[in-house]
Amino acid sequence: MKINPGFVEKLLTRFIKEELSKFDFKKGILGLSGGLDSAVCACLAARALGPQNVIALILPYKETFGRDAQDAKEMAQGLGLQTRIIDISPMIDTYFTLHPMKSRILKGNKMARERMSILYDFSAREKALILGTSNKTELLLGYGTIHGDMACAINPLGDLYKTQVRQLARHMMVPDKIIKKKPTAGLWAGQSDESELGLSYTRIDKVLYQHVDLKKSKKEILSEGFPDKDVEKILGLIKGSEFKRHLPPIPKISARTVGHDFLYPYDRDK
Amino acid sequence: MKIALAQISPKLGDLEHNLQIHIDYIKKAKKKNVDLLIFPELSLTGYTLKDMVEEIALEPRTDPLLKKLAGMSRDISFVAGFVEEKEKGLFLNSAAFFSEGKISHIHRKIYLPTYGMFEELKFFGQGKNFHSFDTPFGKTGMLICYDFLHISSSYLLFVGGAEIIIAISAAPGRGISDDKGYASTRMWELMGETVSHFFQTFVIYCNRVGFEDGKSFAGGSFIYNPGGQLVAKSPHVDEDFLVKDIDLEEIRRFRKSRPYYRDEKPEITLEAFKRIVARYED
Repeated sequence: MKINPGFVEKLLTRFIKEELSKFDFKKGILGLSGGLDSAVCACLAARALGPQNVIALILPYKETFGRDAQDAKEMAQGLGLQTRIIDISPMIDTYFTLHPMKSRILKGNKMARERMSILYDFSAREKALILGTSNKTELLLGYGTIHGDMACAINPLGDLYKTQVRQLARHMMVPDKIIKKKPTAGLWAGQSDESELGLSYTRIDKVLYQHVDLKKSKKEILSEGFPDKDVEKILGLIKGSEFKRHLPPIPKISARTVGHDFLYPYDRDK
Repeated sequence: MKIALAQISPKLGDLEHNLQIHIDYIKKAKKKNVDLLIFPELSLTGYTLKDMVEEIALEPRTDPLLKKLAGMSRDISFVAGFVEEKEKGLFLNSAAFFSEGKISHIHRKIYLPTYGMFEELKFFGQGKNFHSFDTPFGKTGMLICYDFLHISSSYLLFVGGAEIIIAISAAPGRGISDDKGYASTRMWELMGETVSHFFQTFVIYCNRVGFEDGKSFAGGSFIYNPGGQLVAKSPHVDEDFLVKDIDLEEIRRFRKSRPYYRDEKPEITLEAFKRIVARYED
């Protein structure tokens, strides 16, 4: 699971640069939460495009995430990114005043989609391509909001496990307080991914690596001493979130159908 | 002889669930004194398996699920489809003929469609042969889906002495017009009609129904007699249990009036093929 961070940095900065130029974009835009993934993505983007071409949107809800927003701001300033802070509280509060909801997960999802909606709006206003910040661990577990934080134009960190993003972060001199911060999806104040999942990312990534990269069956993973309960949970989360990793199914009717047998590369005509 | 076609919709990736479907249909068929019951391609696993192929594969010599099914074949014969791990890491799209308490023959799909919406070669190895094998009902050959759309497959079974050709399939429908059902269904019937007429065999085609990732399996299973006549047909896209009496004497009757089988010259075909293949160039 160890990466060569120098090589990965080179690869991902090239990717970002090449993708943007293919689609005729000079600028990239991303949501900066004050957490690890968006910090690493911002560093990569700044190196790939030049900090003046990276727009960081900081989208806090009320004061709940005051410290995170502050960290995000410092991070963006440190890198020299164009930064905008937009408080999403008025939109969220208006909606939930009209349609009250107790579930903090649903509220959190709504916030994630509000942020997505602002990102897409600013993407068009600024002609800047949206960089996603979902890592491989989140994508496999489905630990993200569909059409929320999972929505983006390109996703540079999508094939790095959380613990590998952390390795890259150290190499890229992301401030220590961000690296050491408890990972949170930011769905509500004080939320912690690891306590919500009931497992540390170190443990999760080890199991994911065995199952996904090494293609080991549940039986084989168990025989290596990983606890039954953990493996069960992780494999269950992967299976239960398949829909988040696909476009919606289209019922095949005609002789040629989008997604079935109308097949062109993403990079067609670029 | 009584034949039944189970035009079912297996649950993708769920062996236990699909085993239960098989057991239910076998019981149902036994009640109706069916001699031979046919399930569609990959009936025990579902079709769009992709990376699940290697997780759901069964080893016929030792697998308890297949043993259980074999145990149910003492007073009825049936054909079911599954993923076979033939050798370590070699996964095949297979059809098993269950009869007299055991698996009496396995056909491994040879033609794996990999074009348009299909990507079987990405996940499966290819079978190597077409066999006509003995059954309680006479010499029989099995084909899986795209095998059947290559006329040489049926030809080889015919030359090998087959009197019954069983084609199981998971064929998605494609193309519509103002006809009811999918346009692609006609293609299967055309082959069924041609093969049954000119090879003078019964052709039993069992397709599946249901959706997988938007692919809609078209149904339209059928039986043709050795004179090229359609004798039974299942509906489009709906689950169905088709039971039909056939008369094996019809094989003799049609072959007496038009002796295609007697007059066939496989050795000439073979020599011609050798010459053609020897001339192949890149």
